[in-house]
Amino acid sequence: MLKIYYGDLEADNYIFNPDVFFNNSYEDEWIIDPESKEMIKDIDGSNVIGPRAIDSPFLGSISTERLSGGVKTLILMKFDSDHIFNASACGDNCASWILKIAKEKELTIRLGYLMDFGKGPFEIEILNLNKIVTSMQELNESVLDNRLI
Amino acid sequence: MIGKYEIEVYNNKAHYFLSIKRNITILQGNSATGKTELIRLIQEYEENGVSSGITLKCEAKCTVLTMVDWERRLESLTGHIVFIDETASFLKTQRFAELVKGSDNYFVIVTRDDLGMLPYSIDEIYGLKNDEQKYRTYHKVYNEMFRLYNFDISKSIVPETVITEDSNSGYDFFSLVFPEKCISAHGKDNVYNEIRKVRQQSILAIVDGAAFGSEIGKILRYLKWSDSECTIYAPESFEYIILSSGLFDVPKEILDETYLHADSKRFMSWEEFFTYYLADITRNSVFQYGKAKLGEAFKTDGAVKKIVAVLPMNYGRIIH
Repeated sequence: MLKIYYGDLEADNYIFNPDVFFNNSYEDEWIIDPESKEMIKDIDGSNVIGPRAIDSPFLGSISTERLSGGVKTLILMKFDSDHIFNASACGDNCASWILKIAKEKELTIRLGYLMDFGKGPFEIEILNLNKIVTSMQELNESVLDNRLI
Repeated sequence: MIGKYEIEVYNNKAHYFLSIKRNITILQGNSATGKTELIRLIQEYEENGVSSGITLKCEAKCTVLTMVDWERRLESLTGHIVFIDETASFLKTQRFAELVKGSDNYFVIVTRDDLGMLPYSIDEIYGLKNDEQKYRTYHKVYNEMFRLYNFDISKSIVPETVITEDSNSGYDFFSLVFPEKCISAHGKDNVYNEIRKVRQQSILAIVDGAAFGSEIGKILRYLKWSDSECTIYAPESFEYIILSSGLFDVPKEILDETYLHADSKRFMSWEEFFTYYLADITRNSVFQYGKAKLGEAFKTDGAVKKIVAVLPMNYGRIIH
């Protein structure tokens, strides 16, 4: 189940800057996990050579720390259940992965923009409103009608 | 700060081109399109110069503002193009908005969240385009024709309701053009609410494009998934429409090269500049312009015809 808090969030376990947090907290096994490899391939277009080496089509051989902010946030969402991550670090191209991760576990994220989750079907709880929505129209209207962002 | 600046920055792997001409430019888009890499190149060049192996070509100095001592640094900067990544948590603070106002710097900000306190233009929201793998240029996120957004080019718009962002002079004028159809949203923050209130009608929402950047993304994303039939008309501002109508003798460069005149120290947005300019050239004349109320001289048949002639109605795109 995906739970989203929209707008400014103040919580002890909230990570505003997942990019830096990832660099200082990721585990090698997170990177070589098959689903992480798929996410890295899909979002960054890169191949995982090993836990500390990535083959990027744009940048050549790079360290894991130079993965995109979006894919780092996705990996954190998958493996770190102790924190709420700022999903505004992710573009629309991460939305389907967020829904996929949320099918496997209860996932809470923060968003500051209307990420496009596509046609669905999906179930998303808007935490600010304690409301479950099942379509983009319902999601967008709930967020904007209540001026959550 | 005034002017238009071409920025070219590259190393042996990535090559970026940007053109910056207003005080605030927003970069957004999908993950992994190279936004953070661009900031990294500029920062490494700033720290190491040519020793970085990076080439940066720009007539203005470029700098990256991070969380470290940001307030003091920003207060001391002048004549710079200031790049800020989305990881800077001060972006949405009142203090940052205060420092941008009156700043003698241009800002290039990477963010997907809207910055409601800053009046940035719809035209200056860019996404990265990979022309080839190495070469990256920016393109406008919100493309338009006739400055109409969410517009089906195969059709004409016959609005049953016209919503104006403006509650004063702009509303007065469009009430003449669209009698009994026009309502005011009383500000940019309320345009969405007015669109929501109107059910099963064709809507034309008229907003000041020069300062509507923080709202356009939300409204277009809402419209994408709703059944609302709404087109957004976003000229720079109502004052820009008047200035371009030929009602007054306005030098072409004021309209076409506004970046040479709209000093960021004096004008937070081009909307403010056009308002100032129109008020200035009409002072002590029958057309004396004030934002609060449209003067009677602008409401004469001759003046209305001239102004309407520069609107999309003139091209048959909107039937009124």
